[in-house]
Amino acid sequence: MTTLVKPRTLFIGLTLLCGLATWLSLALGPVSLPLWDTLRAALRLMGLPIDAHGLEQAELILGQIRLPRTLLGLAVGGVLALSGVAMQGLFRNPLADPGLVGVSSGAALGAAVAIVGSAFLGGLPDVFGPYVLSLCAFAGGLGVTALVYRLGRRDGQTHVATMLLAGIALTALSGSAVGLFTYLADDATLRTLTFWNLGSLNGASYSRLWPLLLVTAGVALWLPRRAKALNALLLGESEASHLGVDVEGLKRELVFCTALGVGAAVAAAGMIGFVGLVVPHLVRLLAGPDHRVLLPASVLAGASLLLCADLVARLALAPAELPIGIVTAFIGAPFFLYLLLRGRA
Amino acid sequence: MRLSTSAIALVVGLLINHGALASELPQRWVSAGGALSEWVVALGGEPKLVGVDTTSQHPATLKTLPSIGYQRQLSAEGILSLRPQVLAGTEEMGPPPVLAQIRSAGVQVEMFSAQPDLQALKSNLEQLGTLLGKEAEARALFGDYEQALQRQKNRLVKIQATRQAPGVLLLVGNAGGKPLVAGRDTAADWMLRQAGGHNLATHTGYKPFSAESLAGLSPQVLVFADRALTGEAARAALFKENPILASTPAAKQGRVLEVDPTLLVGGLGPRLPQNLEVLSAGFYPTLSEATP
Repeated sequence: MTTLVKPRTLFIGLTLLCGLATWLSLALGPVSLPLWDTLRAALRLMGLPIDAHGLEQAELILGQIRLPRTLLGLAVGGVLALSGVAMQGLFRNPLADPGLVGVSSGAALGAAVAIVGSAFLGGLPDVFGPYVLSLCAFAGGLGVTALVYRLGRRDGQTHVATMLLAGIALTALSGSAVGLFTYLADDATLRTLTFWNLGSLNGASYSRLWPLLLVTAGVALWLPRRAKALNALLLGESEASHLGVDVEGLKRELVFCTALGVGAAVAAAGMIGFVGLVVPHLVRLLAGPDHRVLLPASVLAGASLLLCADLVARLALAPAELPIGIVTAFIGAPFFLYLLLRGRA
Repeated sequence: MRLSTSAIALVVGLLINHGALASELPQRWVSAGGALSEWVVALGGEPKLVGVDTTSQHPATLKTLPSIGYQRQLSAEGILSLRPQVLAGTEEMGPPPVLAQIRSAGVQVEMFSAQPDLQALKSNLEQLGTLLGKEAEARALFGDYEQALQRQKNRLVKIQATRQAPGVLLLVGNAGGKPLVAGRDTAADWMLRQAGGHNLATHTGYKPFSAESLAGLSPQVLVFADRALTGEAARAALFKENPILASTPAAKQGRVLEVDPTLLVGGLGPRLPQNLEVLSAGFYPTLSEATP
């Protein structure tokens, strides 16, 4: 496959796109703020000394609602896309998505336990409530992934094919456990569960944001250092190890980064499908399979896609809101098909 | 940065709250919760409503208002764009971080109870009366409501002295597919009991039922709560598809009733006493004609 765009052009384009998406995400919303106010409030939030007179509403909407939401969108989109690249590299298959190692289904199971469990116990104090759900989802994702990884190991070697099948089996198992919880849940709990599964950036707050930002920054700084090793892995495991790559170490890192990144993203925003699968694919269609380009470009593209999807989610039915999981697929799938079919013509 | 913004939020909140107190009652309302919105309307608050959630379906005029979405999945900015002074909802309203954001923007968030009992309704109506400046009307409404339920109770006592409560099953949802049966700890169960029926289902919550266990219970009356299942034709189609359902004593004797499913959501609503009366009449057909 030939590359369509030079890496330099791609990076400039994606950076502009991401910047534009960020600005739109801050500037647009159901509450219409004058552009000038938005700009001044944004500058004030950056700490510039600007007269606060008449800016109270803009600053509140921007600082308390749109900024945390935008940051959440950037982090979730970026880390999901990165994990997608990691998984597609690990399985050497462009159809792999982060769900393959069980992290999504594990997180869903953790969330189901938290939602149904806390309803069963008669609700938790408000202070805990949101954190319990996030922590359980994160722990569930990490736990199931660890199990999948263990099952894939034999004689000190990680068998990717075994891991893939173990991932499918454990996903099915977690799915049936979630089903059981769904059956046990009462009406109210059931609806909470359904909406959680569709994902949302709604109600983002700084306290839930920081852990995710840290994880995202960590993964985004770490994975690109392994870009060359990932490129070598494209040739095959034995070829990569002949080239001097510590293949076992690389696999471990990839699985760990994915579990951490997707676990944190899902814990903060619920299940948001499609980004991890399609964004790396899109970038590959544009710029080829070199991981030195693919990894950083996917972060930018994932973040941009998620912010755009979130804009649609909150503007389409305003003052009500769509779950973002619906929108990511709705925007992403046709675009993806277009790219695929255009290559054929 | 965070500190300064929350400090400003607080100041703005105080300013707006202060303003609201100074200029009497809140004039712009957003209501989330079916029964709650009905009570707001019953107390003459409809002109003040600027938005309702998707469970607020009665009266039909509410559907023309901007929809803020489902009450458990509210959006802070969406609601703020309606510039409300009050957001009224039940404990089912959420998610909590969004409510916190709405509060920090200076909107008064008023919580009501969705529990199906008279005590909860009493305090709900008192709270609504104060907020709408209709204390006397609220008290009168509650008085009438209490009396209506008491009349219903008295009627039942009289009827049940001579007749046994019929075995009832209430079926909810997906017309044509597998209906869910209302068990214990549901609003539907509460309604059946208030209307004098004996709920044959012993599970908790709404659960799908196998055809066999349905037939084994042989209900004398079937109650459908389903928007898509109104009318003879729809019912005939359902029975044709589920022969077991059609073989129940209820279906054979044509004792099939309907309730509006919106009655089962969000606590005691104003239309409940009248609906209980209709249900009761269906449960005890001959005697209810005799008693006025």
